[in-house]
Amino acid sequence: MIAAGLLTFFSACKNETVYPTLIITGQNNHNWKASSPILKQILDETGLFTAEIMTTPEKGGDMNTFNPDFSKYKLVVLDYNGDSWSDKTNTAFLKYVKDGGGVVVYHAADNSFPAWKEYNEMIGLGGWGNRNQKDGPYVYYKNNVLVTDTAAGPGGSHGKRREFIVKTRITDHPITKGLPARWLHGNDELYSQLRGPAKNMQILATAFADTAAGGGTMRDEPMLMTITYEKGRIFHTAMGHADEGGGPAMQCAGFIVTLQRGAEWAVTGNVTQPVPFDFPTTAGVVLRPDFKEITLEEAFVNIGNYDIAKSTKYLSCIQSQIRSLSGDEEGLQKIEKMMNKVLISKEATVESKKLMLRELSWMGTDYSVPAIKDLISNAELKDEAEFAMARLTK
Amino acid sequence: MANKSSRRDFVKRSAAVVAGAIVLPQIIPSSAFGRGGRIAPSDRIVIGSIGTGSQGMSNMRDFLELKDAVQFVAVCDVDALRLAKAKQIVDLANKNSDCRTYGDYREFLEKEKLDAVSLALPDHWHGIIYTEAANRKLNVYGEKPICRTIHDGKTIVEAVKKNNIIWQTGSWQRSQPHFRHGAELAVNGRVGKIKYIEVGLPDGNKGIGTPPVMEIPPELNWEMWLGPALKVPYRGVSHWDWRWILDYSGGQLTDWAGHHIDIANWGAGLEHTGPVEISGSGVYPAEGIFNVPVEYDFLCKYANGIEMRVANASRLALGMGTTWHGDLGWIHVDRGNRISASDPKILDEVIGENEIQLYKSDNHWQNFIDCVRSGKPAIAPVEVAYRAISVALLGEIAMTTGQTIKWDPDKEEIIGNPRASRMLSRPYRQPWTLPTV
Repeated sequence: MIAAGLLTFFSACKNETVYPTLIITGQNNHNWKASSPILKQILDETGLFTAEIMTTPEKGGDMNTFNPDFSKYKLVVLDYNGDSWSDKTNTAFLKYVKDGGGVVVYHAADNSFPAWKEYNEMIGLGGWGNRNQKDGPYVYYKNNVLVTDTAAGPGGSHGKRREFIVKTRITDHPITKGLPARWLHGNDELYSQLRGPAKNMQILATAFADTAAGGGTMRDEPMLMTITYEKGRIFHTAMGHADEGGGPAMQCAGFIVTLQRGAEWAVTGNVTQPVPFDFPTTAGVVLRPDFKEITLEEAFVNIGNYDIAKSTKYLSCIQSQIRSLSGDEEGLQKIEKMMNKVLISKEATVESKKLMLRELSWMGTDYSVPAIKDLISNAELKDEAEFAMARLTK
Repeated sequence: MANKSSRRDFVKRSAAVVAGAIVLPQIIPSSAFGRGGRIAPSDRIVIGSIGTGSQGMSNMRDFLELKDAVQFVAVCDVDALRLAKAKQIVDLANKNSDCRTYGDYREFLEKEKLDAVSLALPDHWHGIIYTEAANRKLNVYGEKPICRTIHDGKTIVEAVKKNNIIWQTGSWQRSQPHFRHGAELAVNGRVGKIKYIEVGLPDGNKGIGTPPVMEIPPELNWEMWLGPALKVPYRGVSHWDWRWILDYSGGQLTDWAGHHIDIANWGAGLEHTGPVEISGSGVYPAEGIFNVPVEYDFLCKYANGIEMRVANASRLALGMGTTWHGDLGWIHVDRGNRISASDPKILDEVIGENEIQLYKSDNHWQNFIDCVRSGKPAIAPVEVAYRAISVALLGEIAMTTGQTIKWDPDKEEIIGNPRASRMLSRPYRQPWTLPTV
């Protein structure tokens, strides 16, 4: 059912420029062997990045052998929480950031390097590693007010893993523009009580750490942050605790998409990626077990198999595409043709044809009328066909 | 032929009831009624109810609380269990067992001799039953939103006007003093000329996924529940949760338009017009049979320059409620007696005799009964309700098409967009049709 023309039409928006990306891992109190390839896949998936993974020596190993050439990259992703790097590498990384390099700080990377002053300025807030009031204030929202809290106490905690609502705090930032105000994140550690220099930092999104799951602070804790460090831009996501295969925290479409958007912003200061149809809402967690977004082509390949009690995600994908076309006649006509193919297909299910008839009732044109008319004689589709005809021929 | 009820018929009928020696509730002195003294049985407004779900029952209780001002005589519902419960409550209040029950509204309207009817059904049924009740010259207390589509709404307004009935929309916030006070301050320029209005409505859609087809419960007439909507198998979703499905509702947006958008219009003098341009976007669930937008955010521009933003509360600084922004300040009203202003002194302002006095009612249900008796318009008339829901329905169309919609509020037409225009109506499944007025 794929129309080759449509494939070309909708692939045209892919970005031409590809940003070389370095993912640094090799030591972590988390499952870095699971998370790093997934981070690479998530970034590569956008077509904006080509990521390679570089592993440091094991714990206690000779860090002098770890000398990435940062100048080769536009983005450095940190999935690292371990031994200090060599002074030479620290200096090179610092220069990379100061000169405008992009950085993504992922989950436990904000635990790393508690004693490295510049690193802590880059991550804004960190946790564990004996961080406390000497490292900077706690920063959080309380009753919708941003609080910088210099109280004494340890940095970093989390309660039992749970699904939680992420609330967008800055809605006009390139990373968050167009995202829901609130969305449900897959089962994850809710990092709390992070503290640090918090200089040149914006908190884009928070999550309320209630006490229901234990260890709650009853504060809205920072989940997504941006930091600028001289010319460098840093995107910090506190989410994404990795299980084998990623697990719900990494498979969550909200984690994936905010990481992709944050990474692009870190490189360019802008975000060109559209918000996908499956970005989660408060209506439910959305997982992408293969870390991929459904394309319109896939949606039309699969929509013909739709039946009662099957997922409606392919329809949602098509509807989202229609909305984003915003009345573009050429694009709408192409989608209309694809829908017509479902209507006349011998293999497509009755239920899939009903879905198409409902959509065509408002967005179709004369082009669809013959196929719809034919279905009026089909007892199973009569009501929907009449519904569509009544609207189209009004 | 429709039962043409009139005041005179009503009095005669009541007399016949008394002559028939049916036991009526004891007459209770009613000072609350505002006339003093007693209300003779023959003066009672005879009323029945179609739809005995949560809102229908709530309205029924509010009418029963008016005691001897009304006589509740019949209830109708497609769910036999709900119907039985409604009868029980009415009978208890009436201290008899006379409340009649119907599973089919057509039989209810044909057989019952009423002065007024209380209607609380899923939105997809409003077009047919509201119009039919008006055509039968019944005075109507009708739940908001008054229609699922603009076309249904126009028909209902026409039917109400042509049949000259008393109409009260269930926009009961109008009968709360702080909402009236806020609107009255705004409409009298206490924050200057109104430039911008923000309306915060609940975030919506609870998510259910794709439940399997289930056996229809024996008490539920599923075919009748669906009525004019497209036939779908029963999946355990009917009462209450219909509001998360676009076939029957537009979600929290359309559910609440009749409250905070209605109040916004009241305080900005927009009750009898509509926007000229609507644009915005919604956030929709990734999957599942609950398909209304979870979040929504759109801007309406009016011919006089006023702009109104309607969004789910999480997106707005002041959250739920209505905020009128004038060139001198703002006033915010919300449920829970919440009213605030840029300068609290504004709230102490007294509206002078020569200024605009908004309609005053302190009991929404009694206001309706009073008006049925007096023949005066109720506080939430039909066209005003139609203008409130139109804002939400046009917002829905703007979000569905992803386009800026141009609207002619006088002709009540979308300009230059055939696709968007098709969404102004939803064809009915045979054999159902929208009654002609």
